[in-house]
Amino acid sequence: MSHLTNPLATVGQLYQRDTLPEELQTSILYYTARLTQAAGILLRLPQDITAQANVLLFRYFLVDDIMAREFSDISAATLYLTAKISSSPRSLRSITNVYAYLLSPSSPLNTGPVANNPDTYYLSEASYIIFRNRLLNIEGQVLNALGFNTHVTLPYPLAITYLQTLGVFAGDSKEKGSKFAKRTIEYLNTALLSPQMLYLTHQPASLATAAIYLAAKEEGAKMPEVEWWEVFDCEREELGFLVVALGSFRALVEREEKRWEGRGMVTRRDVRDVMAKSNGNGQEEEETRMGRLLDEKIAA
Amino acid sequence: MYSKLKSRWADNEGDVALDAQRKREKEDRKRAKAEKHRQADEAAAAAAAQAAAAVEERKQQEQSHQELASRPSKRRKLSPGPAANRQDIAKETVPAKLLRFPGGQWKKCRSVEDYEKLNDIEEGAYGWVSRAKDTTTGKVVALKRLKMDNATDGVPVTGLREIQTLMYCSHPNIVALQEVVVGEDVSKIENIFLVLDFLEHDLKTLLEDMNEPFLTSEIKTLLLQLTSGVSYLHTNWILHRDLKSSNLLLNNRGVLKIADFGMARYFGDPPPKMTQLVVTLWYRAPELLLGAEKYGTAVDMWSIGCIFGELLTREPLLQGKNEVDELSKIFELCGIPTEVSWPGFKRLPNARSLRLPKNPISQGAVIRAKFPLLTTAGSALLVSMLELNPAKRPNAQEFLEHAFFKEDPKPKSTAMFPTFPSKAGQEKRRKRVTPNAPVRGKVPELKATDFSGIFSGREDEEKGGGFSLKLI
Repeated sequence: MSHLTNPLATVGQLYQRDTLPEELQTSILYYTARLTQAAGILLRLPQDITAQANVLLFRYFLVDDIMAREFSDISAATLYLTAKISSSPRSLRSITNVYAYLLSPSSPLNTGPVANNPDTYYLSEASYIIFRNRLLNIEGQVLNALGFNTHVTLPYPLAITYLQTLGVFAGDSKEKGSKFAKRTIEYLNTALLSPQMLYLTHQPASLATAAIYLAAKEEGAKMPEVEWWEVFDCEREELGFLVVALGSFRALVEREEKRWEGRGMVTRRDVRDVMAKSNGNGQEEEETRMGRLLDEKIAA
Repeated sequence: MYSKLKSRWADNEGDVALDAQRKREKEDRKRAKAEKHRQADEAAAAAAAQAAAAVEERKQQEQSHQELASRPSKRRKLSPGPAANRQDIAKETVPAKLLRFPGGQWKKCRSVEDYEKLNDIEEGAYGWVSRAKDTTTGKVVALKRLKMDNATDGVPVTGLREIQTLMYCSHPNIVALQEVVVGEDVSKIENIFLVLDFLEHDLKTLLEDMNEPFLTSEIKTLLLQLTSGVSYLHTNWILHRDLKSSNLLLNNRGVLKIADFGMARYFGDPPPKMTQLVVTLWYRAPELLLGAEKYGTAVDMWSIGCIFGELLTREPLLQGKNEVDELSKIFELCGIPTEVSWPGFKRLPNARSLRLPKNPISQGAVIRAKFPLLTTAGSALLVSMLELNPAKRPNAQEFLEHAFFKEDPKPKSTAMFPTFPSKAGQEKRRKRVTPNAPVRGKVPELKATDFSGIFSGREDEEKGGGFSLKLI
């Protein structure tokens, strides 16, 4: 059965995260997931592995303090871990190189004109070893937080099965069908980046159904006039929630881009700066500064 | 943000008119739910009062888990949504019965300090195993510590695969992974322990220490249990890839469980490219020795065949010194493959360098001679398990349905199994002599080998006391 289901976040886990303001958490989740996705593409990993890594990343965030480690480090460690147990492992050196590139000023994640300057993402042997050791430590932390349960069921195969059931690829509609399917898969990929952590709150069957629903609307596909989603064990209420969550994602991204001024990735320092600013409290700022110094010392 | 978006979804025009009614309904539901909550809380409090403080926490977790399982959509209903819509629309129709899948949850590992170590059992290829007691429940378990050899790669992938497959598996003949615990110092996760069922024996040690071999009825029961476990694995797309007597555990109630999933992995159809460096040499199938890159469930079936032979004689069946020696021992026992009996075997990477004798003897004859006490059905089964051509070996399901298990003597009930003194429970074990499973790394190539001499001295061999009745 676990080929069809995922463990879901408990209500307790979802409400525990009140250490940071909601909007900052949203930014952290979105930017970190996007970083994993970009790294997965550069590492030429099959999308299912990148997707699993992002699900594990969010599961980790629900257990450990979100500010305990640098977000990009956690992203790199989960991606390394997921690839390692899959049939397409990636070396630590490839991972560190890709992340050094994506976090550099030359990163394609930064919006606006970017000058490609290899000096900015060159990783010396010494910094490679430091980065590597940090990743290996975090890998253990991630496994510990997940109780070593690394199994993730993805909705992609289900979505294709559902589309076949709906007769999307039948007869002469093959070309239209594959366009429809592509759009469905794109929605499922989008859902991975959603700070609402849809893969942690909904089973793959519902995610697949919602993606099909949206794709059908967009492609103008003719769907059955009955409540077809019930055939796929998705409640109308659940479908509605997911459709809204996915539909509002574009607006969310635009808001985030504006908030962080086209930055490629947010860091703990960025988050602390915003916190300090919003507090306007000198003492708080001092504390943050000390914390940062401490972190830098540990990182070095 | 949420409420605004929600209204966007509920774009039905009838909604507006029905708003008041819906509100009323919602309030009713809210009240009913509060009542339910109160009752549940009371029940939980009553239950908790009875239990001790430590047990109490576990119980509540279990309870909440059960609650989730029995009413899985409960949480979802917390969000006030267009549920009312649905009632409006589907007023006449009966609400559909939707399948709900309780998926479980994840949480942080417990500490190994929650277990009290009783004694060491053995050191295997992947880690140390010791017997321990859960200090809260008093349950005796086996703690297997993962070896962290390749520290430069982090947690070893074999260990992670073992955990992943064992967590997925739930079968009476597969050792159950209860949880994973870590060492006290969590700033660095270096000590990882698998909490497994404790079983008194492993088949290897047991066979070595027994004065009399197992009875045929007992062998049947053991083989049926082993193969039903393997059948479960194969139907769930898992290859064990290291079946051998020392990885089969037996408890004092006659239940056999498959252990050590360090080599296991998921496979697919068509089979993916996998390493041939799997399965302990003495149990390794000929297609692996010949370097096949694509193989399947038949490699596990070969190992079962080897274990079958070992159960009969209490000696591992094919004790090769190295890959070449193993292959020649296999050919000696099972005959020489031909293009007819195994189409395409000549194209396997390591087969090209082999020089095989021209006139091969018939397959099966040697096996029948080696096990003269086996019935016709029994030897037919063993011969088919040790088919050189993987396609001809029966699969797990066919094995379970074989006539051998239907004829007398019938498989012995596990409850009637004899008990043995447990080495794992009391004293330190003898170091095991089976070679370990191959280490990940470079695949050794078979050098050009001349096998034509294997049978040269056959005529001079003693034929024994003339008891060759079974020889066909």
